[in-house]
Amino acid sequence: MPSLENDSGSNDEFREVQCISLGDYVIDISWSPDGTRLGAVTVEGLVYLVHVSDDAMHYNQIGHHATGGNALSWRLDGLEFATAGQDGTVKIWDGHSGEELCSLPMSDPWVSKVAYNPKSKFLAASGGKTVSVWKDDRSLIYESHDHASTISDLAWNPDGSGLAVAAYYGVTIHVPNKQSKPRKYKWKGSSLVLSWSPDAKYIATGEQDSTVHFWHRKSGDDARMWGFSTKVLELSWDASGRWLATGGGPIISLWDCSGPGPSGRQPRQLLGHRNKLTQLAFQPNGDLLASADADSSICLWDPMNNTQALHKDKLSSPATCLRWSNNGHLAVGQRDGSITTFSTTN
Amino acid sequence: MVTQTQQKVPVTVLTGFLGSGKTTLLNHILTKHHGKRIAVIENEFGEIGVDNDLVIGAEEEIFEMNNGCICCTVRGDLIRILGNLMKRRDKFDYIMIETTGMADPGPVAQTFFMDDEIGDALSLDGVITLVDAKHVVQHIDDSDEVKEQIAFADVILLNKTDLVSTTDLDKIEARIHAMNSAAKVFRTKNSEIEMDKVLDLGGFDLDRALEVDPKFLEPEYPFEWSGAFELNKEDYQLKLKQGSDPSMKLNFRSAASAQESSMRDTVENAVVSFSGDKVQLEDGSVIEAGDQLIDLTLSGKEEYSYTLRPHKPGAYVVFSEHYFEEFDAFIEDSSGERVEAISAREYKADHEHDDEVTSVGINTPGDLNLEKFQKWLQKLLAEHGQDIYRMKGVLSFDGQNERYVFQGVHMLFDGKMDRPWREGERSNSLIFIGRNLDRTTLNKGFNSCLA
Repeated sequence: MPSLENDSGSNDEFREVQCISLGDYVIDISWSPDGTRLGAVTVEGLVYLVHVSDDAMHYNQIGHHATGGNALSWRLDGLEFATAGQDGTVKIWDGHSGEELCSLPMSDPWVSKVAYNPKSKFLAASGGKTVSVWKDDRSLIYESHDHASTISDLAWNPDGSGLAVAAYYGVTIHVPNKQSKPRKYKWKGSSLVLSWSPDAKYIATGEQDSTVHFWHRKSGDDARMWGFSTKVLELSWDASGRWLATGGGPIISLWDCSGPGPSGRQPRQLLGHRNKLTQLAFQPNGDLLASADADSSICLWDPMNNTQALHKDKLSSPATCLRWSNNGHLAVGQRDGSITTFSTTN
Repeated sequence: MVTQTQQKVPVTVLTGFLGSGKTTLLNHILTKHHGKRIAVIENEFGEIGVDNDLVIGAEEEIFEMNNGCICCTVRGDLIRILGNLMKRRDKFDYIMIETTGMADPGPVAQTFFMDDEIGDALSLDGVITLVDAKHVVQHIDDSDEVKEQIAFADVILLNKTDLVSTTDLDKIEARIHAMNSAAKVFRTKNSEIEMDKVLDLGGFDLDRALEVDPKFLEPEYPFEWSGAFELNKEDYQLKLKQGSDPSMKLNFRSAASAQESSMRDTVENAVVSFSGDKVQLEDGSVIEAGDQLIDLTLSGKEEYSYTLRPHKPGAYVVFSEHYFEEFDAFIEDSSGERVEAISAREYKADHEHDDEVTSVGINTPGDLNLEKFQKWLQKLLAEHGQDIYRMKGVLSFDGQNERYVFQGVHMLFDGKMDRPWREGERSNSLIFIGRNLDRTTLNKGFNSCLA
């Protein structure tokens, strides 16, 4: 595979470290905050805890959701993680032993998303049109059905204060611990994914109608970006909050959101994928961007310094999730059940 | 940008009013031995219980887009569930969607065109509409849903036939046929039907889109009504009153039998007669049985009487340009007794409703100019796309050796070059199914695209 040195002259190394196979479509994976463990859930609902060290990955199936799995999230302290399943429950697992700690029922049989608060022990999950929030004693502290359709995505404000929910008719921000009225960011369209900028200034959504929407959180002003060849399911902010990377086709676009915002600015474009993108992920505390497409290709970019991919590799099947650890490792979940980890040094 | 060559999983959509027999059909499909593993998406709660198959209940979620275009309207629930099923694609080889009785099939079909993820992995195999033969008459006139479900169908099961007389079934079928002449109609009891008539149809598959009997593409008859009578060898009187038209074309001919079932040849011969020269007759004239097309004069008086003269005893059929009842028309024997029709048939249902759903078939020889055709179709779809539910066609373009096949849903259009034309085969045939379709304008517009 071609490997290009970047302009800064430093030697990047990007290499596959380990690979395991779970044998079923990996629908979600997530790193523990300390980067020593991975939680994984498959489309059939199998839940795994993977211990990752420099030379080995040890994995155990620790339980399952009877009719299918959807999502996974680690708590800030790394002591537990939660999974969402099509059996109508959120399950909570011990982050070290893998023991099932409890099962929280929701009213809808299809629990699609789960997310721990980035600053506290609150846990949010969505099923159907309902979003629920629990405290660490597993008591329900907030619930809202105030959404026009099944919830497609949810994410906490990076400062932990609010919970944004995407559905048909735009975005709703709930403030669970204040029990105040949710704020609506209305748009006649179907928002599929959402992503907060790290400074919480913007919420970006990827839309069914092949557009990207920017909401200015405070003012409620919005901007709309189009020109995508497919619906947009891939959004990732860089650590500084200046750049948003979007997919929606084979081209990666980088939108400059500094100063007055992305309106009226042409995005930078990264060309390298031949098929449509399936995943995009900026490092949470670095400059590198990883991308994957439907042809099983995976690329690594340093987009501030180079419009060419630093590395390109072929996986055994298309990536379903790309997740960076806080210490610079990349974990890739795949359609064929593989989980591969890569390391970078720069 | 699709590079996947994997076989697409076929999806069948079941529509029909509540109680029309959708769940019964679904249970037949799930229990019959067909070697398929079927996943079912249910928008309507029904009693389905099968071990090997997956049944997912879902609430209908219609996603309209900000641009206001109804053609961009898709079904969010289906995108979500079908997307998830595709992640388990090795587990299923067929998907059935049972919609609610009030569902509009448009957004369901459009989901397969508009969503790239769904379109890449799945193919819409066909829309099957169940019609409750006993109750449909109550809904068909004032329910847009019933009309749309019939208009979108590839296959229509006229169900519960045991509860309705053959004459009524004929009337309903004629009506359905006038609305959607491209659909295959089967009469069923208790939703019982051979699997190969409902599964793997390739109804939205271009290669098979035009497997339609060309005769069905011409559903228009030059007459609106026919009545079959048993007559002796004597003169009868055809009595009429002044009606909506100052004259009416008519053909009076013998038939093998007065039963509806044996009428096909007689109807075809009558169509030929109606295309011939007519003879204008005045009140009191004699109409001999035969091939001659007659034009009755029906102006200047209140009542009219013409003599019908059979050549021998037997079955005779009167084909009339308008319904008999519009002129209070009837037949009397020589003793003044009214003679009732053994069977009667309507050929163009509900012609007075301007918003009626109809099919317009165009069959024209000659080659089309590509540019002219594109311009015409673009304009047509931009102006009338909302009213055109489905269209299919095989076209012959000037300078092209291959057939061009296409199909569409509302403003969405999918077409490609197909196999080479065979000797003597070149021609254009297309069909539009929709509301407020103007046959004359469509024909004229299409003909203006000929090279």
